[in-house]
Amino acid sequence: MDDDELVAAVAGGDDAALRELFDRHARWLEARLGRLVPADAVEDVLQETFVGAWQGSRRYRPQGRAGGWLWGIAVRQAALWLRRNGRSGVRAWPAVEPPGDDNPEDAALAQVELARALAQLGPAGSPRRELWRLLFVEDRPEAEVALRLGISRGTVKSRASRVRQALRAALGRDGA
Amino acid sequence: MNIEVQGLTRGFGRATAVRDVELSADAGVFGLLGPNGAGKTTLLRMLATVIPPSSGSVRLLGRDPAAHRERREIRRRLGYLPQQLGYYPNFTVFEFVEYFALLKEIPPARAARAAASAVDRVQLGDRARAKLRTLSGGMLRRVGIAQAIVNDPGLLLLDEPTAGLDPEQRMGFRALLREIGGSATVVVSTHLVEDVGAACDRVALMYDGRIVFHGSPAELTDRGLGHAVGDAPLERGYAAVLAQARL
Amino acid sequence: MMAADLDRVWEGVTARIWASQPAAVERVARRLLRSPGLARALVTTPSLLGSWLLASAAVLAVGVLVSRELGTTLVPLLAPALAGAGIAYSYGPGTDPAYELTRSVPVSARTVLLARALAVFAVNAALGVAASLAAPAAGGVTVAWLVPMTAVAALCLAAATLTGSPAAGAAIGLAGWAIAVLAAQVATGGAERAASVPALILPDLLFAAACVAVVLHVTRIPGDRVRGGI
Repeated sequence: MDDDELVAAVAGGDDAALRELFDRHARWLEARLGRLVPADAVEDVLQETFVGAWQGSRRYRPQGRAGGWLWGIAVRQAALWLRRNGRSGVRAWPAVEPPGDDNPEDAALAQVELARALAQLGPAGSPRRELWRLLFVEDRPEAEVALRLGISRGTVKSRASRVRQALRAALGRDGA
Repeated sequence: MNIEVQGLTRGFGRATAVRDVELSADAGVFGLLGPNGAGKTTLLRMLATVIPPSSGSVRLLGRDPAAHRERREIRRRLGYLPQQLGYYPNFTVFEFVEYFALLKEIPPARAARAAASAVDRVQLGDRARAKLRTLSGGMLRRVGIAQAIVNDPGLLLLDEPTAGLDPEQRMGFRALLREIGGSATVVVSTHLVEDVGAACDRVALMYDGRIVFHGSPAELTDRGLGHAVGDAPLERGYAAVLAQARL
Repeated sequence: MMAADLDRVWEGVTARIWASQPAAVERVARRLLRSPGLARALVTTPSLLGSWLLASAAVLAVGVLVSRELGTTLVPLLAPALAGAGIAYSYGPGTDPAYELTRSVPVSARTVLLARALAVFAVNAALGVAASLAAPAAGGVTVAWLVPMTAVAALCLAAATLTGSPAAGAAIGLAGWAIAVLAAQVATGGAERAASVPALILPDLLFAAACVAVVLHVTRIPGDRVRGGI
C-alpha cells in the first residue's frame, strides 16, 4: 500500500496501517525533530506526532504528500512542546516563502531555520529585528524606515547590509 | 526467595486438597505436574493469596500474606492466570488488560503504557481494540496471559495457561516464560508434560495433595528409565513416579 | 546524540490510541476515592450500567403512573426492591466472570463489594426520591421508605455474599420485603405502610447493621469461606 492508502486506512481505524506509516517515517521525522527540540524531547514529540496523525487522518486529502503532512504535524507538536516548556523558539515565523522549493518537508524546515536565524538578530522589537521587519518584510522604502527608526538613511543602508550578512552566516551555518 | 512454603495444608470440609507441602523457589520457571484432583489448583490459589491455608507457613516475595498490608504489597507484584478466566464481553482487549493494571494499582499514566506493552508481548497488537466477545479461545487465553504480566510481576502463577493455544503459540509462550523466568518466579501448573520439559528449570509432581517428586526435568526423565508406560522419556518418568505414589 | 527508542515511542502511541478517555464520573470517582482501580471498578458495576439504570427508571416511571391512577403512591414499595436487586447483582461470583482473578489483586474484592453496594444504594435512593416527587402521597412527599430500603438492601447484600449467588441473594431479600409488606397489609390494611411504620425505624436500622456486620465478618479474610466469601 502506498502512503496515501495507508493514511486512508488509518482514517478507517486501522492501527496496523498506522504502524506501517510509523515504520516508514519515524526515523527521518526523528532526525529532523532533533534540530527543533532538545534530544530528550524528541521521543515525546514523535509520539504526539503519530497520535496526532491518528486523530487527524480524516482531514488528509490524498495528494501523495503523506510525508509532508506528517512533518507538518510534527512541527506543530514541536512548537507546542517548546511553548509548554517555556522556550519561545518557533513562534514568530516571517511570512516569507523560501524560493524555488517545492518539497514541503524542506520548505517547512527552511522556514524554521530562518526563524532561528532571525532570533539570533535579537528579540522581537530590538533595533536590528525592527529594521529587518520594516525593510524586508513590510518592504517599506528606506526613507520611511529611516524616519520610523529615527536614524539617517545611510545608517539604514549600512545596518541593512550587516543584517543581511548576519542572516547569511546563520543560515549558512545551518546548511540551508 | 520468592516462594517459601512449609507444612502447607488446605482442607475443604472433610476433604484435604493439599497436604503438608514444602516448596521454595527463586527466579526461574517451576513446573507443577499432576493428574486432575491432585491439588495443583488449590496450591496455586494459595500462592495467589486467593485462599488462605488451613495450616502451615507461607512467605511470598519475602512477605507474609496473612497480614493485610503485606498481602496488598504482594498482590502488586503478583500475576495470576486462573484455570477458568471469564471475560467481560464488551471490553476490548486493551480495556481488559488496562482494567487489571489499574486494579493492581499501577498509576493510570503508566497503566496505559503497561497494558499496551503487555498486549504487544502476547502478539495481540492488531486486535487491541477488538471486543473480547469476538475472540477465539486461544486469543482469550493470551489476553489472560497479558493481564497476568502487565504489572511486571515478581511472582507469576499460571494455571493451565496453554489450553487452547496452537503449537506455534505454545512455543512463543514458552519463550515468553523463559524470558520472564530470568528475573521472576514463574509457576506453571499443567497436565501437558511436554510444556514442562521445554520451559521449566524445575518440576514438582503432585498426587493426592502431596508432592511426590521435586527436581529437574532430567531427573524426572531418569525416574522413567525402564518404565513401560509413556511415549516420551519425560512422560515415562511422570508415569513411573505416579505408579509408585499410588502404591 | 543517541537515537530515539522507536519501540518505546510506538508503545506510547498505542497506549494513547487504544485507551479511551475515562468518563467524567470516573475522573471524579478517582479523585474522591484516591484509587483509580476502585473508580474503574465502580463505573463498571453491572447494576449501574445504562441498561440497568434505564430499566429501574422505567419500573419507577410505571409505578408513578399507576400511583396516579390509584391515588396512592407505590414508590415506597418499589424503591427498596430495586435497590435490593441492584445490590445483589453488583458483585460476586455469579455476576463477575473474572471473579476469581479479582480475588488476587491489591484493590481487594471486599473493597469493591462494599463500594459498589454503597454506590448502587445511593443511585437507587436518588431515583426513588425523584420518583417520589412525581407521585402523589397522602401527606406530601415522603422519603421514610429509605429506612426499610436500607434493611432490604443489607439483607440482599448479606444473602448474595453468603450464598455466592446474586439470584439467591435477590430472591431472599425480596422475599423478606414481600413478607414485611404483606404483614403491613394485614396489620394496618395498607401495604404501603410497610414503608413508613415509625416503630420499625430502629429495628430496621439495627437489622441492616447486623447484615452489614455479617458481611464484614465473612469477608475479613480472603476466601476463608468455601462458597461465596470474598
